[in-house]
Amino acid sequence: MKLFKDIEIIDLALKYKDNLIIGDLQLGYEEYLHNKGLLIPKFQLNDILERLGRIFSRVKVKRVIINGDLKHEFGTINKQEWNDVLKLFDYLFTKVEEIIIIKGNHDVILAPILKQRNLKLVNYFEDDDVTIIHGDKIVVNLNKIIIIAHEHPAISFSEKPADKFKCFLVGKFQRKNLIVIPSFSNLTVGTDVRHGNFLSPYINKIDNFNCYIVDDKGNARDFGKIKELPL
Amino acid sequence: MEVKFLEKPYQTEQVEKLLHPLVKEWFFSKYRSFSEPQLYGVKEIHERNNILISAPTGGTKTLTAFLSIINELVGLSLKNKLEDKVYAIYISPLKALNNDIAINLEEPLKEIKELAKLKGLDINIRIGVRTGDTTPNEKQKMLKKVPHILITTPESLAIMLMSYKFYELLKGVEWCIIDEIHALAENKRGVHLNLLMEHLNYISPNLCRIGLSATVEPIEEIAKYLVGPERDCKIANVHFSKKFDLKVISPLPDLIDITFEDYHKALYNMLDNLIQEHKTTLIFTNTRAGTERVVHHLKTLFPSRYIENIGAHHGSLSKKHRLDIENKLKEGKLKCVVCSTSLELGIDIGYIDLVLCLGSPKSVARFLQRVGRSGHALHETVKGRIVVTDRDDLVECSVLLKNAIDKKIDKIHIPVNALDVLAQVIHSMAIINIWNVDELYKLLRKSYCYKDLTEEDFFEIIKYLAGEYVELEERYIYGKIWYDKESREIGKKGKMSRVINMTNVGTIPDETNVKVKIGDKVIGTIDEAFLERLDKGDIFVIGGDTYEYLHSRGMSVQVRSASGRSPTIPSWFSEMLPLSFDLALEIQRFRRLIEEYFESKNSKKDILKFINHHLYVDENAANAIYKYFKEQYLYSLIPNDKKIIVEYYTDEKDKTYVIFHTLFGRRVNDVLSRAVAYVLGKIHKRDLEIGISDNGFYVASTKNLQAVRAFSQLDPSELKSLMEDAIEKTEILKRRFRHCATRALMILKEYKGVRKHVGRQQVSSMILLNAVKRIDNDFSILKEARREVLDDLMDLNNAKKILEDIKWGKIKIKETNTSIPSPFAFGLISDGYMDIMRMEDRMDFINRMHQMILAKIGKENEIEDIR
Repeated sequence: MKLFKDIEIIDLALKYKDNLIIGDLQLGYEEYLHNKGLLIPKFQLNDILERLGRIFSRVKVKRVIINGDLKHEFGTINKQEWNDVLKLFDYLFTKVEEIIIIKGNHDVILAPILKQRNLKLVNYFEDDDVTIIHGDKIVVNLNKIIIIAHEHPAISFSEKPADKFKCFLVGKFQRKNLIVIPSFSNLTVGTDVRHGNFLSPYINKIDNFNCYIVDDKGNARDFGKIKELPL
Repeated sequence: MEVKFLEKPYQTEQVEKLLHPLVKEWFFSKYRSFSEPQLYGVKEIHERNNILISAPTGGTKTLTAFLSIINELVGLSLKNKLEDKVYAIYISPLKALNNDIAINLEEPLKEIKELAKLKGLDINIRIGVRTGDTTPNEKQKMLKKVPHILITTPESLAIMLMSYKFYELLKGVEWCIIDEIHALAENKRGVHLNLLMEHLNYISPNLCRIGLSATVEPIEEIAKYLVGPERDCKIANVHFSKKFDLKVISPLPDLIDITFEDYHKALYNMLDNLIQEHKTTLIFTNTRAGTERVVHHLKTLFPSRYIENIGAHHGSLSKKHRLDIENKLKEGKLKCVVCSTSLELGIDIGYIDLVLCLGSPKSVARFLQRVGRSGHALHETVKGRIVVTDRDDLVECSVLLKNAIDKKIDKIHIPVNALDVLAQVIHSMAIINIWNVDELYKLLRKSYCYKDLTEEDFFEIIKYLAGEYVELEERYIYGKIWYDKESREIGKKGKMSRVINMTNVGTIPDETNVKVKIGDKVIGTIDEAFLERLDKGDIFVIGGDTYEYLHSRGMSVQVRSASGRSPTIPSWFSEMLPLSFDLALEIQRFRRLIEEYFESKNSKKDILKFINHHLYVDENAANAIYKYFKEQYLYSLIPNDKKIIVEYYTDEKDKTYVIFHTLFGRRVNDVLSRAVAYVLGKIHKRDLEIGISDNGFYVASTKNLQAVRAFSQLDPSELKSLMEDAIEKTEILKRRFRHCATRALMILKEYKGVRKHVGRQQVSSMILLNAVKRIDNDFSILKEARREVLDDLMDLNNAKKILEDIKWGKIKIKETNTSIPSPFAFGLISDGYMDIMRMEDRMDFINRMHQMILAKIGKENEIEDIR
């Protein structure tokens, strides 16, 4: 599904020229939940690798950009995170030449892992008309198209059985184009954007935003304006 | 392996000669003679026979159970042979047992001790109470001075069976008394206890089991529940000489074509009269909201009569408030107590001479339990009244009353093979011992609730506990036990295991309650579900007073007093009690009898006479019932136990209702309606509306529905799998999965000293549910959640039986078109509007429909005959 020139939705990722953008992987979330007394089996990494496999069978890119919140824990690196993050990097390097990590609000301590693969953490990434940034803080000098994550957008419909779907949002921020990408993790679907209360300061009113819902097979569909969606 | 009814009580002399002279002297200084339960039970317990004693509330059951035990211990004590061990355990579902215990145990022991002292003898029998409220200090004391009789709850017993020191004390217990066994058997607490009993029995092989029950059916099943499939049990089924004075009453001569104002006025005048005529009245309203409403109206309509002397009692009120009401009741300070269902069980509630049920108690056993709260002394009259609200209620309650008087009591449902409870108990057993799995399997199957446990399910749980649902390298985290397939043994794993099980023990799910506050002062609590419906400025009732909703933050709601203003939001939701299946069938049978009377052209006089005699109702009621049935008969068809009527009715907005007159109770109708809707939903994706009640269900749509075809094509043998699909994405399954996952310790309510909020638990459970489905759609804990929804919450089995009867032609389906809903459908249709209609509007709606019916049938028949 093409959004702008050179920008298209591939599954839960966004392809921009030679780059594949994914966000909010929240690796290690299971262990975090585990420490909170929830015995959830670990699926996330396998899921993510499987999905990436599916994506790489559709497109070829040189670079993967992880748009923040690579892992879940804020102030620490748990055991699973060490393990999963490195496994992810090693997998990605079999497919692409470069990995760029953008800092997310969860990424307080990331450097020790990144060092293992000689990767650096950046605050945002720019190329031509595009700024890619996690989305928890507003910066100045943004380009014409802004791509953020952070919000975990999803849509649910009241028709029974009520299901929730991950979605991309496309709208405006200060007369610039804004693209919000869904979380790449399958542990949680996301937050229903129609309930209001947005996390990201880039999003205020979304009535006129367009939404693109991604189905289980990874196909995106244009659902039109939020305000015109059925309940 | 035999369950046997005791045919007659033993002779006084037979019981007397068992008693130690001291105990005998004490007993007869206090009581004139043995009560009937004592004549039945004391000797059996003395001989260590398992026994279930079933008798109406307010009897002498508890002392019956204790008398033999006290007698034995007094004997031992005088011979100086009393060991430092627990001889008897008394288990009750309620923590607040102090009162009963004081009367039936502490007092007798104290008096016997004093009597012994006079004779220069010394008796030293110790009692210990261990519940969730027992302090660590008290527990330590118990270990030093072992109580000979231990009073506890199922959950505390579970904890003791995991603690090394207490475990030692529990080896060699000789008697175990389970009080209110009928109330426990009905739910998962009872399932839990059932397994704990086997564990206890394993370390105390000579255990004598004593069950104390109110009058319930089937009594043999309760006895089997008490002892399991391999042990003998005697049953003492004691009917009391208590006199019963039970009636169905109505505030107005008829319940149709009356205004809400008239009904309301007549109802409260009647309540006021009844309350004033009696010393203390106990009112049951079924719902918390109803409780609030009644207290509120009595206070506003009769301000001079009800101020300090009336109290509300229900689960949402603070513990302090409830205790306060209970104490005032005991002290005789209250003229009237209004409760939801909360005073049905347990604690001795003092002097009550009238029990009123507003609306149907929905089951005969429940009604008898309620009225048993009156007539304190043994031979006093039990006085109960059911106040009916509409014509359906009148019919239902009249049949209920007849069955209560005829002692036809509905069967209770005992959950079996609950896998979540099984997981918790196996884990707790592994904490204290190493077990051979094959022997463990055999041991667990000695309990009633798991007598049919399949090997497959058992090993699923073992594998779950051993963490075999995740990859090998992860099992060190997920495994709660180790399982050695070579030696076929299991045992505890991890240092935290015991703490985790102990802090998460039990089967009662955390309730989603939100605190209601003015500033920092807590007024009470409401459900989350209710909170969701509140808007700023809404006025609602709690504790008999009105409050205005301001805002909510986290788990608390801020309100301000709105004294004197009327509530804007009614607070009824899913707390309605379901009609018991047996009672439903009785009502259907009554419907058929009346239809037969109509068919064979009996005169009105004869039919009235029949109703009058058959149902034990007064003339007004018989007349109202007659009119109700006659209208239905003339206008449409009378549905009954052999005939389901399906009625098509299209409203002004072109919405077609397909109304199924399936009076099988809500639990069965929940299944039938969901099954039909699920099949239809595959054809018509949207705009499908469903309504259910005890009396039937409907599906409605603006589109043409093939509902009857869908219904008659439901295959009983495939109903289970169909229903499993139908509930797959429902809120109810998600909630029940949370309950099951917490019982099976997959979600820990408390971990590392932190208690998890219900909201947090629910979020966790959603993530877990998705993960679990991917491992296996039949993952044991998910399977259990489905079973709980379909078997315990709904009634899949009886729904299946109905479908089978339809299949084999025992029940016929008849279709009929109506331009106005038939009288029997009024309640059901207007129930569907419940959310948007106020009580007043509901009555208006029914009246309007009724007038239209009368106009129609009046043309064909003499209207005078009906009116």
